[in-house]
Amino acid sequence: MSARPGAGSPRPYRFPRVVEQVTAGGLRIVAVSMPQRPLISVQLLLDGGASGEGISDAGTAAMLARLLPEGGDRHDADALVEAAELYGASIGAEAGWDRLSIGASLPASRLSNVLDLIAEIALAPRIPEREVERGKALRLAAIEQANASPRARASEALIASIYDPAAAYGRPLGGTRSSVAALDRAALVRRHEELIAGGAPLLIIAGEFDLTSAFSAAAASPLASLRGTSTATRATTSAPDQPAAAPARGANGAPRLLLLDRPGSVQSELRIGRIGRSRLDPGFHAALVHAEIVGGLFGSRLNRVLREEKGYTYGAAAGFDFRRGRGPFTARTAVETSVTAAALAEARRQVSSPLTHPVSDEELTGARDYLRGTFPLRFGAPSAVSGTVGGLLSLGIALDELDRYRDEVAAVDVAAVTAVASALEQNDERLVVVGDAASVAEPLRAEGFEIEIHAADEV
Amino acid sequence: MPATPLLSALPIHESRLANGLRLITVVDRAAPLAVVNLWYHVGSKDERPGRTGFAHLFEHLMFQGSENVTKAEHLSLIESIGGNANATTWLDRTNYFATVPAEWVELILWMEADRLGTLLSGLDQANLDNQRDVVKNEKRSSYDNQPYGTAYLELLALAYPKGHPYHHPTIGSMEDLDAAQLEDVRDFFRTWYAPNNCVLTIVGDIDEAAVSAAVERHFGHIDARPSLPAHPDLSLPASLNGEVRKTVYDRVPDPRVHFAFRAPVLADERLEAVGVATQILAGGRGSRLYRRLVREEQLAQDVGLSLLPFVGGASLLVGSATLRPGADAARLEALFIEELERLASGGPTQTEMERARALVESAALAERADPEEIADTIGMYATLLNDPERINRDLALALAVTAAQVQEAAALFAAENRIVLWYLPESTEHTAASAGVA
Repeated sequence: MSARPGAGSPRPYRFPRVVEQVTAGGLRIVAVSMPQRPLISVQLLLDGGASGEGISDAGTAAMLARLLPEGGDRHDADALVEAAELYGASIGAEAGWDRLSIGASLPASRLSNVLDLIAEIALAPRIPEREVERGKALRLAAIEQANASPRARASEALIASIYDPAAAYGRPLGGTRSSVAALDRAALVRRHEELIAGGAPLLIIAGEFDLTSAFSAAAASPLASLRGTSTATRATTSAPDQPAAAPARGANGAPRLLLLDRPGSVQSELRIGRIGRSRLDPGFHAALVHAEIVGGLFGSRLNRVLREEKGYTYGAAAGFDFRRGRGPFTARTAVETSVTAAALAEARRQVSSPLTHPVSDEELTGARDYLRGTFPLRFGAPSAVSGTVGGLLSLGIALDELDRYRDEVAAVDVAAVTAVASALEQNDERLVVVGDAASVAEPLRAEGFEIEIHAADEV
Repeated sequence: MPATPLLSALPIHESRLANGLRLITVVDRAAPLAVVNLWYHVGSKDERPGRTGFAHLFEHLMFQGSENVTKAEHLSLIESIGGNANATTWLDRTNYFATVPAEWVELILWMEADRLGTLLSGLDQANLDNQRDVVKNEKRSSYDNQPYGTAYLELLALAYPKGHPYHHPTIGSMEDLDAAQLEDVRDFFRTWYAPNNCVLTIVGDIDEAAVSAAVERHFGHIDARPSLPAHPDLSLPASLNGEVRKTVYDRVPDPRVHFAFRAPVLADERLEAVGVATQILAGGRGSRLYRRLVREEQLAQDVGLSLLPFVGGASLLVGSATLRPGADAARLEALFIEELERLASGGPTQTEMERARALVESAALAERADPEEIADTIGMYATLLNDPERINRDLALALAVTAAQVQEAAALFAAENRIVLWYLPESTEHTAASAGVA
C-alpha cells in the first residue's frame, strides 16, 4: 500500500463577484455573478418576519407567505403557477424570524417575466378569503401532525421551555392552535402592508446572466419603486426582546426535566437546550467552531460518544440557530428506550465538555479546516448564494464578511471556544424527553433528574 | 436524437483497469472541488434469507477502518480536509460518495482503495456490535418510531411477492440484524466488494491524467474477483394482476392513503413518459392532484407521487395523500384514482405538456450545476444500464415524450395494477369499517 497522500495544489477561490445598484425608485438590487449557472435564483426580501409576533398573532407572517403565491391582481392561483411553469420557473414565499422572502429559480432568459410575477404577488396579492380559511385549516392539521411526531414534539417543547411565554422564539414560527385559529384576512392584509412599508427591501439575483439587462429588467419592474418608508435597515434598530423563561431548578438543585409520555415508544427523543447567541454578537466564528466540535461534525464529541462509542443512537447533533435576536442552542438525539437515562446524562456531559475538557489542538484544527474547506462547497447553487447574501444583508452585515470568513475561522483559538462555552453556561439549561414514561421515568430519577410528566398529546 | 441547444454534452471519459474497475471522469471547473462516487453493484436484493438488512449494515462497517485507517478516522479525516462524505444502500446497489476541495482528491482515492483492498483487517466484533446498535437505532428513528414510518416497507412487501428479492426492506429486520456474524461480513466482502463490481466516477476540477494515474496506483494492485455471483432473478409480471388493499392501524393523527403501481424498469424508455405523467399529476401547486384534492375539494392536506426506478422486474410508482381532518376518506381515495384514470383516458393537454417540458429543462439545468448529482447519475447508468453516456441523452429523451405516450404510460394506474394502503389512527380501529375504507 502506498503512503497516505497529502494535498495537491489548492485551487484559488473567491466568493462570487457582487455588484449593487439602487433603482431610481429606491429598490436595492444585489447581483451575484456565477459563471456556468444558467438556472438563476431571484429573491425579494422584505424586512420583518415572525420575531415580533405575540401570543395572539403568532404565525401571521408564515400564513402570509403561504398565501402570497395564491394569486395577485392579474392572475389567480392556478393561472400564476401555470404562467411560472411555462417559463420553467417555480415561485415560492417563505417567512423567517427576521424577513419574508419571495423567491424563484428560473432560466436566466426569463428574468423579466418572472420579476413581473414576483412583483404581482409582492405588491398586489389576492389573499382570497377562501384560501385564508384553507391555509388555516392546513396549518392546524400540520400542528396535529407535528404533535404526533416525537421528533417535532420534542423540539417544540424544548423551545417553549427555553423562552418566556411572551417571546416569539418560544413558539413555532407557523403559530399555535389558538393564534392560527384567530387569524383572518384583515390581519394578513395589515401585515402585508406593514411589510411593504416597513424596512428596506432587497432584490438579489444570483447565477449566470447579463448584468446590464438584469439591472434594466429590475428597473423596469414594478418592484423598482418598492422602497419602504424607512431609509435604514432594521439592523440598526434592536431586535424584539426574546426573554428567557424563569429559571427552574428542582429542590436540591437537580436539573428539571420535562418528560412527555408516549407509551410504547421504542426510542426516546432527547433534547437539551439553552438560549444561545445572536448572529450579531461578537465571536460568531468561534461559535461556529465550538458547535462543530460539540455537535456538528460526524467526529463531534456528541456523535462520537453517543453513536460511535456507545451505539445509543443513529446520530446526535447540537448547534446554534443564529438570528437577529438570541436564538436557541439545542442538542438533539433519539436513543433506544432502555438507555434513555444514561444517554441523557452522557449527552449533557458532552454538551458542556469544552469547559471540563478543553478542546484539543487536533479538534480545533479539524473543525476550523472543515469550516474553511467546505466554504466554497456550500456555494455551488445560485439559491445557496442568494440565500446567504440575503441573510447577511438583511441583518445589516456587510458582504466583506464572505471574503474574511475563512481567515476569521482560522484565527479562532482554544480560548475563544472556551469563551463561547462559558457564555452558554450562563443561560438556564432545559431538558425534554419524549418517550415511554413507564420505562424511562425511574431510571431518569435515579440519574438525579427532577421530572415533570405530561402526556405527549396534551398540548 | 439531436443534441438540445440548452445543454452541451458532458465530456465523459471512461477507462477500465486490468482488474475490471471502471473509471469515469468528467472535468467540471465551475467550482474548486472534486466529487468521488463509487457504485458497487450489490444491494438488498442480493441478501440471503435470514440476513435481511445486511448490505446496509455492511455499508456502515465500511466506515469502521481498514488496514491504514483507524475506526472513526474515515469520516473525521474527510471532515478535517474540508469535505463531506456519506453512503447509501438501496435495493439494487450500494453507493459511497465524497465531495472535497479539489486538491484532496487523491486522499479520497487512497482511502477508498484501502477499504476495498483491506477492509477485513480493520474488522472486529466490537465494531460489528457497535454498528449493529447504530443501525437498529436508524431503523427505530426512521421507521418504527415515526408516524406513517413503515409505509414504504409495507408497499415493497405488497408490490413484490414473498421470496422476490425486492420484497424485504433494505433496512432489514431486528431479528436478522441480531443474527449477523463476523463471518457474514467476511463472506459478503469477499463475494461482492471487488474492483470488477465497482464503478468509480470522479467529477470536478481535476487533472484527468493525474487522477487516472492515481487510480491505477491505489486500486491497480487489488485483485479482481473472477467469479462474481449472478444477481438474483428479478423477473415479474409487468402488472400486479389484481388490486391489493391493506389497512394499517397506527399511532397517526390523520388517515393517509398510499398507492403503489408496478412501472417499467430503468432500462425501459417508457419510464420517461411515466416521469412526465408524474409531473403533470403531482408536481407542485399547479398539478392535477393538488388542484383537485388540496385546493378545490379540500379533501387532502398534501398529495404526492414519485417514481422508484429499479433495474429488474418492475419499478414502483408510489403516491400518497393525507386526509384533511373531518373530510371523507373514501371520497379522497376515489377522487385520487379518478384523476389518475382521467389522464389515462383523456391524456394531457397541450399546455400541460409545454409546462412539463419547461420544468424538465430547468431541472436539467439544475442537475448540470450539481457535480454530486452528475457523478451519481453517471454511476447509476454505468452500473445498472452499462451506459454512462445515457446522462447526455436524458434531456432529449424527456423532451421527446409525446402527449400520446403520457396517456399510454398512465395505463399503469389501472385497478388491476394498484395497491391501496391506508394508515388509520389506531383509536378508530373499531369504527373504520363504517368509514368505508378498510
